[in-house]
Amino acid sequence: MKTKSLLLAVLIAVPTIISAQNPKEISEKSSSTIEFESMEMVTTLNIHDDKGNVRVREVAVATKKFGETTKTLMRFISPPDVEGTSILVYDYEDKSDDMWVFLPSLRKVRRIVSTEKGKSFMGSEFSNADMSKPNTNDFTYKLLGTDVLDGKECWKVEATCISRELEREYGFQKRISYIEKATYLSHKSELFDSRGKVLKTMLLSDFRKQTNGRYFAYTMVMKNEQNNRFSEMNVKQFQLGSKLDENSFAVSNLGKQ
Amino acid sequence: MKINEFISRYRKWLIICPVVITVLMLLPLTKARINPDLMQYFPKDIESKINFDSIESIFGKFEPILIVVEADNILDESTLNDLSELHDSLIYLQEIDDVLSLFTTKYIRGEEGTMLVDPVVNYVPSTPEEIETLKAEIESNPLASGIFISKDFKYATFIVDPAEGFTDDQILENIFRIVDLFREKENIYLSGLPYLRYEIQSKAVRDLVILLPLGLIIMLIFLYFSFRERRGVLLPFSVVLMSIAIAMGLMPVLGYDLSIIAILVPIMMIAIANNYGVHIVARYQELNAKNPDWSMKQIVNESVTRLYVPIILTALTTIFGVLGLIVHIMRPAKQMGIVSSVAIAFALIFSLLFIPAILLGMKKGKPRESFKSEEKHSLIDKFLVWSSNVSTKLSLPTIYAFISFLIIVGVGIIHLQPSINFEKMMPVGHSLRTSSNILNNNFGGTKNISILFEGDIKSPEVLKTMDKFETLLKSMPEVGSVNSLSSVIRLISRALNDPGDELYDKIPDDKQTISQYIEFYSMSGDPEDFEKIVDFDYTKALMNVQFKVSNMKDLQKVQDEISWLTNSSPYASLYAGQCLIEKEMAQSVVRGQIYSLVFALLAIVILLWIIFRSPVAGLIGSIPLVLSLICNFGLMGWLGLELDIGNSLLSSVAIGIGVDYTIHLFWRLKYELSQGKTYSDAVTETLKTTGRGIAINAISVIIGFSVLFLSGLVILKTFAFLIIFSLLLCLLSALVFIPALCIVLKPKFLEKNGKYIL
Repeated sequence: MKTKSLLLAVLIAVPTIISAQNPKEISEKSSSTIEFESMEMVTTLNIHDDKGNVRVREVAVATKKFGETTKTLMRFISPPDVEGTSILVYDYEDKSDDMWVFLPSLRKVRRIVSTEKGKSFMGSEFSNADMSKPNTNDFTYKLLGTDVLDGKECWKVEATCISRELEREYGFQKRISYIEKATYLSHKSELFDSRGKVLKTMLLSDFRKQTNGRYFAYTMVMKNEQNNRFSEMNVKQFQLGSKLDENSFAVSNLGKQ
Repeated sequence: MKINEFISRYRKWLIICPVVITVLMLLPLTKARINPDLMQYFPKDIESKINFDSIESIFGKFEPILIVVEADNILDESTLNDLSELHDSLIYLQEIDDVLSLFTTKYIRGEEGTMLVDPVVNYVPSTPEEIETLKAEIESNPLASGIFISKDFKYATFIVDPAEGFTDDQILENIFRIVDLFREKENIYLSGLPYLRYEIQSKAVRDLVILLPLGLIIMLIFLYFSFRERRGVLLPFSVVLMSIAIAMGLMPVLGYDLSIIAILVPIMMIAIANNYGVHIVARYQELNAKNPDWSMKQIVNESVTRLYVPIILTALTTIFGVLGLIVHIMRPAKQMGIVSSVAIAFALIFSLLFIPAILLGMKKGKPRESFKSEEKHSLIDKFLVWSSNVSTKLSLPTIYAFISFLIIVGVGIIHLQPSINFEKMMPVGHSLRTSSNILNNNFGGTKNISILFEGDIKSPEVLKTMDKFETLLKSMPEVGSVNSLSSVIRLISRALNDPGDELYDKIPDDKQTISQYIEFYSMSGDPEDFEKIVDFDYTKALMNVQFKVSNMKDLQKVQDEISWLTNSSPYASLYAGQCLIEKEMAQSVVRGQIYSLVFALLAIVILLWIIFRSPVAGLIGSIPLVLSLICNFGLMGWLGLELDIGNSLLSSVAIGIGVDYTIHLFWRLKYELSQGKTYSDAVTETLKTTGRGIAINAISVIIGFSVLFLSGLVILKTFAFLIIFSLLLCLLSALVFIPALCIVLKPKFLEKNGKYIL
């Protein structure tokens, strides 16, 4: 009898242990650790090619969540010939993003329609998908095990696109993330292409804890393993919260800030 | 020591050495490698190749495979679904880096203040209205129409960029595996250099596997019918085998790859290497029949002593003719010249030493009856009777007839063109030829030239120069499409501005606007979209000019225009293209042909001069060669056969082989004249005796080469046709024209020292 109840206890306990290590939950928790409802920052984006050439862009970014929609405003500070070019992105929970661009030399606002999240972010190795929170329903998750990365014990979580359409949309077939057990911070992600070859590696570092308890990575590097190009984003200034009101994120005000 | 004493003394060694040498030469054959890359056949330092390489170093190697799909209507739902599946299956291949098609190329347009950048076919339309909309979109899209889909919507193309680190075999066999799944419903054709290489490679291997044994079997049969005695077949045949082993083994030893024309080497050996041995065996049979009381040693001694001089002379002329190939510009031609002349030298040595050494150890064979009978009914004999009649009784008309023939056929030379289309190596109906017809008739054409621009590419000056180039080039009837960053900037300007706006469909006047256009595009397109037309830091850009030409003259016209434009602008620095390399290769093929022809002809004139101690012998002796070469090129012109890498080897080979007939003829004529005969009688006697040998010799060579008609490669078939035509002409000249000429001219050199020859 005693043995039986012990067995029952084990049977009940096992699913709880599994659920504590549910890869989908790990991923969700990981992305919410670095999620901010509103913030402002100035960042440099260095785009390197495989021959050592580099393109430098400096961008001021403000993000704020209004209802279910996260609105992001980006403005080029340099180089001089694109200074003032501004981008406004509405990131909806349930449909694809809207994007408008203000071109100072034309004094015109133009909308960009793109269904592909896998598209390059400002011509860098980062994609638009890397800049926003992934929709966890688009992937199936698998816990591959644990690994030690720079002395940190991490879960290796594999996220695979559930359809070919999504593969095309995201621009990768699966992603293996190294998520630190202690903090749920993802330090490294490997993206694989549709043929199962490593496409890109993303490294996040210089995580700084903000006053709201969440973390922000001040350095992000994305390396394309197939063409050896890489891009890095270095945050020069960061501020939690934004004083901008919803009106500042209106399409009609684009280019007027 | 005389040659017969030498053979008797070292008999064993003369048998062992050739066998050992042959076995040793077989070993390196395991390392032999076929190299189907035509580009590597030519020197690296040709200008067009240097320019091409410098563009490749900036924009990466781009050697695409083109897949052309034919359907009643590409935009049909089921066809488009197939194409979409084909596209997806191709990008899933490890061996493929990228696939460009209707599903990737962009449709850039503006709609109510929105710039939209989407793949041309974003989803497969199903209703007639959707299909009509897509059709209209494609027709207005210069990035799609005429590039990825034909204007009549019957053909679609996929440009496949193979991944690095895979062989042509791996890449193409995987593409075939996928393409074959769709062949039931659509016609699919392939094109592109990797495919050409793959086809050459597989056809070359097939040729070697099939033609070589077949050639050997045919030669065995020929030898059997000529001698009807086992030793008569096996002895010359063993010399053929040994010389093939030496020629083929020598290639890897010297570090040569087997090229497409290296296939000619063993076939040439089959045709040539038996010649010397055949003479020895024929003489042995003749002496055996005519002198029943002679011992084997006597027969062999007599055969060798009498024959070694003319055999050495004919071999030498063949070697010198073939050596003419070493001044050819094409590397495989030089290599072919070297290995085949070495192998011919060995065939000569084996025929003079190995065959007699073996014969010495054999018992005498049963005498052949045919040597005893005087009656001769064969076709060859009838022809010889006719030729001696014609050349002795109608000498002058014969000369006039030959000269008229020469002029009529020779005039064709003005139509002779070098080949600038590699796909013509393949038979009619081959995928490469069909696809290139489709690309020429329904798309921008198969030829491509890229113009490199250097400077601040985002500056209006550079982009406007590019725009001007585009407009001028597009006005040429040969040019199918022109693409560069300037056309993309104009597309963006149409999407961002409304019709009627000052900036609509224009290159902006200031750099800021251009930079913002590009930045704007980079937010909606892929960074790779521009990769092939502008470099990373916008200091170098490419303009791709696609056009169709079928001959050198039109190609030159397009090149001249591009060259003029490039010279007129400080921003356009150079231009290059596969077709320009091919053009320079074609020109060097012509030059190579002329070099080796002149070399071989001069060598032969000098050799004949030395042999017969008279410059007149050199001149008259080279007449059959000049005549057959002029007629050969004339015939090519009349038949529209282009000068290519295969038939550019022809003159050297034809000279080397064809001159033998004249030497044999002169040799015998001198002898007959020294016997106090009149020219007329001497000619008749010569044709009856030596003429027969010459004819049989020529037929054996022709039979050897005729195996090439079964080759899978058109250039080898054409080579066979032309070499046979040339050799027949050499034969006809030696047996009809030269005798008639000698009767008319009565050259002095024929009357000197003849007694000592035979």
